[in-house]
Amino acid sequence: MAVSKTISHPFLLLLVLIAHTVMLLLVALSFGFTTEVLKIGCYILTADLVGSIVLQFVHRESCTVDTVMLLVMGMSTIYQSCFGGLQFALRHFLFGIGAFIMCQISYLLVRNPYRAEKLKPLWYICFFLLVGAIFALTGSRGIWIDLGFITLQPSEFVKPVFVLIAASSISTQLHKKTLWGIHFVPDNLMLILCTVVIAGLQWYCRDLGSLPTFVAVAGCGMLLRFYYLREKMSFRLIVFLAVCAVGAGIAAWNLAPAYVQERLHTNIWADMSGSGYQQVKALVAIAEGGWFGKGAGNGTLHNVAASNTDIVFSSICEEWGLFTGMMTVILVLFLPMSMLAVPPRSYYHSGLAIGVAAVIMVQMTLNIFGSCNLIPFTGVTLPFISQGGSSMLSCGILAGFLKAAQAPVLTQKKKAAA
Amino acid sequence: MAELDISAPRSMRRAGVFATLLLIGFIGAFIYLGFTLVEESPEYMTRSGAASYGVVYDRSGDVLFDGTKALSSYPSGHFADIGNVIGDTSGQMKNTLVARNMEELANYSFMYGKGSGKTSLKTTLSHAANTAVYKAFGKKNGTAIAYNWKTGEVLVCVSKPSVDPAAGYANIDKLAEGSLLCKAFLPTVPGSTQKVSTLLAAYETMGVDAVNKTEYNCTGSWLNASGQRINCHESKGHGKQTLQKAFENSCNPYFAQLVQSDKLPLSRIIETYTRMGYSVNGAAADTLEMNGIRISAASTTLKDAKDFDTQWGCLGQGTTLVSPFQLMLWEGAIANQSGIAVMPNMLSEKTDVSGAVTLLPTPGKTGQMFTAEAAAAANAVMTENVKKNYSALVKYKCGVKSGTAQITDGGKEYENSLLAGFSADDRCPVAFCILIEQYKKGEVTTAQIAKTMLDKIAALK
Amino acid sequence: MDLSQFFAQYPNMRELLTAIAVIFVDICGLMILVSAVRERAHGDALWTREGHALMLKCGEDVFPLGAAEVVIGRHPASDIRFLDADISRFHALISLSNGKWRIEDLGGANGVTVNGTRITAPRVLHTSDVIVIGKRKFTVIKGKKEES
Repeated sequence: MAVSKTISHPFLLLLVLIAHTVMLLLVALSFGFTTEVLKIGCYILTADLVGSIVLQFVHRESCTVDTVMLLVMGMSTIYQSCFGGLQFALRHFLFGIGAFIMCQISYLLVRNPYRAEKLKPLWYICFFLLVGAIFALTGSRGIWIDLGFITLQPSEFVKPVFVLIAASSISTQLHKKTLWGIHFVPDNLMLILCTVVIAGLQWYCRDLGSLPTFVAVAGCGMLLRFYYLREKMSFRLIVFLAVCAVGAGIAAWNLAPAYVQERLHTNIWADMSGSGYQQVKALVAIAEGGWFGKGAGNGTLHNVAASNTDIVFSSICEEWGLFTGMMTVILVLFLPMSMLAVPPRSYYHSGLAIGVAAVIMVQMTLNIFGSCNLIPFTGVTLPFISQGGSSMLSCGILAGFLKAAQAPVLTQKKKAAA
Repeated sequence: MAELDISAPRSMRRAGVFATLLLIGFIGAFIYLGFTLVEESPEYMTRSGAASYGVVYDRSGDVLFDGTKALSSYPSGHFADIGNVIGDTSGQMKNTLVARNMEELANYSFMYGKGSGKTSLKTTLSHAANTAVYKAFGKKNGTAIAYNWKTGEVLVCVSKPSVDPAAGYANIDKLAEGSLLCKAFLPTVPGSTQKVSTLLAAYETMGVDAVNKTEYNCTGSWLNASGQRINCHESKGHGKQTLQKAFENSCNPYFAQLVQSDKLPLSRIIETYTRMGYSVNGAAADTLEMNGIRISAASTTLKDAKDFDTQWGCLGQGTTLVSPFQLMLWEGAIANQSGIAVMPNMLSEKTDVSGAVTLLPTPGKTGQMFTAEAAAAANAVMTENVKKNYSALVKYKCGVKSGTAQITDGGKEYENSLLAGFSADDRCPVAFCILIEQYKKGEVTTAQIAKTMLDKIAALK
Repeated sequence: MDLSQFFAQYPNMRELLTAIAVIFVDICGLMILVSAVRERAHGDALWTREGHALMLKCGEDVFPLGAAEVVIGRHPASDIRFLDADISRFHALISLSNGKWRIEDLGGANGVTVNGTRITAPRVLHTSDVIVIGKRKFTVIKGKKEES
């Protein structure tokens, strides 16, 4: 069925190609036109072209999310290739492609909101499998599963699954069950249960870094459930929720175990060679980078641990400048912003989009504000930018949810063909 | 056929509002982060030790601190007189001009990065005058500070013993006590220089004429209403005397009787003291600050006008403590006869990392510390004091009050000699305070140091 | 081309080029966002294809079915809202699934009638079906001729 107005794909592709070419020229300014620069250029521009062509033939419904992903992935590959010297970040590049593929897969999986919601039991199974895997494998081996060529971090994959669990449709909310005279929505109970399970697991693993992400997703999910069924948020409810949030925050702050307390009360300037080392180096790197950076490859932060994951924002700022760093973050924000451009048409998709927005924004907040010493440093990854396979792939899955909200399909293929 | 309307319904659009709020919150916080990073980046550079530093000059271009090369490359003793005032970037001294202005002096700005590295600060100090005053102390320790009461420029600030930053801190354990502190900013027992404050309180409360006509008898020793004895340094006594005479004699019984007098209620003294910046009876008082350097506020305890401790406090002994800096500040307000002093300032000009020069704003004035009438009357009394007793200072139209502070320090008893005053001469319109520790008769006097200092300042351009 | 010599000559040139490049990249990003906004029309068209641009006509009022789930009721959250006493807070749910719109009674006291029969299970809606909820009568109409 022909749709009257399609967006000009070649034009968007051109924009991405130009943006990447300009960045590669900047790299060439630092290193000259060496074979390594040309190699990076070839890989990235080819990936852009191939990705665009694939999109052209597969899904024409919406391409904002894909285009922004192509742009951001190419940019982050260029950043990652330049930290402290030119070395093509092949792994990052491959995981970028992996994320792009995951995006398409997850899009196909959830583009029909009814089917996606009907599959909720499957999401619950996935959730508990992943949680079980983390539970079984922590302790001696940490939260990583080593498969030889790739180390997987199951906790990253819990995030998209949790987003799927947190979203809900209006009919699910309106069909209440009654047990012993109490009306309840099973879906809501499951969300609360999953939140408690994940919080308990994080507590058990002594790694509370991602807890704010899950709490935010669950919070947004719950809030939307209230929100859809009310004309507007009543003042009392807002006050009640705010008091609850503040109370929970204070309780968490005071009751947190010792190793968390240490993080919360670290004065990085008092221990510049110890616990504050990474952050001090990160802040100095930003300060030395200034507005427009020292130039690609001229940074010094690559000598510090986690320079391309936890403090990647500072690494970018040092070599490319604060301006570039901030604009890169804004570019990543374009992904959740897409739901403002084309509003979702179903409540489940809407919940997914808000959940993804919450994950992306909370992760970025924890990462960037943490490394800049405005909030406690937790060591989470920066979506789409940090190196790390699991993080990239799960971000790809999340992007697929956004795409599904942009281009929902409520009709099955056979029907449309007939 | 109805018009096609396929916009998403209201409740669905509310999700968009929700997402917008999230985005606005994040972007707002992010913009705040950007501002914070830009604003605090010099702090990151200095605190982490990643920054290099520029040069501090005196008013005529002489180097007072140099971050661009080793201080030991300067002639030996070049920095000896300003070591604990200007300080250095070593972190050994916290309350010095350099330590308090590290970010200003760092060869760094967010815009220009390390730029051309031309950062420098120009101070109002005169290194020549400073060195001369430092040398004038001879073997004695103490402090001297002077500032132009018209413009606020601090011209001399010496604290002896001092540390020579060029010599490094390898022998930090062997340095004389107090070498790392500038005593001009630290509270000390003011001795009879305190009588100026008491006099100002009396002028304000009783009126100038009434105070000037007040006569009390001094027999060398006086029994107060509580039966406690206040002795005069002149054991034979000064006899019956007016205020002017008592001021010149620095007569303790006279001023003690003035404090005990019903015409001068203690509450009024406390009121004037508080306005002048004293912390009376533990009340909060503003800490003074000059270019980031902190100066402790004066303090005293005044409970009962008929009690020895209170009278003794008003005479500058007991629990009364004042920094030479603050004594100088009050002299500034007396010198201009307004009761309002121009705030002292040490920095005049800043050259940033790119080489751009900016004139630094001069700090404002103090509040009305005492009335203009009281200031003018005190000015007259102090000027008269110089005419009678300080022939060496007459040519600079000075007004001064001397003081002897009795110090008991761990069983050791000694006397500090102080001189607070001002010059009304156009060549050297300065207010000053000089302190010689453990003064003994026959050694260098505060008046001699004052003369040396005024000579040098008057000779400046 | 010796770049280092070039930059030694013009020390601010690198910053300038970086600034231009970064701003350029941002303009590209912004253009993508602008095109996303243009996608809105495309999204509407997509929705027309999925939802067949069905509407409910009730007297003079026309209610578009703009989302996959539309609630009719007295509750303020309802997208189609009537303050009638005989309409429940959440009365009926009209939802789109597999290319078909269905209406479902949410268990209100007065029920939902389609073409004269009170429904007990979700029922598929067709153009010119007549729905009666309380005293209100709705006619299902098509917003626009949609042909391919």
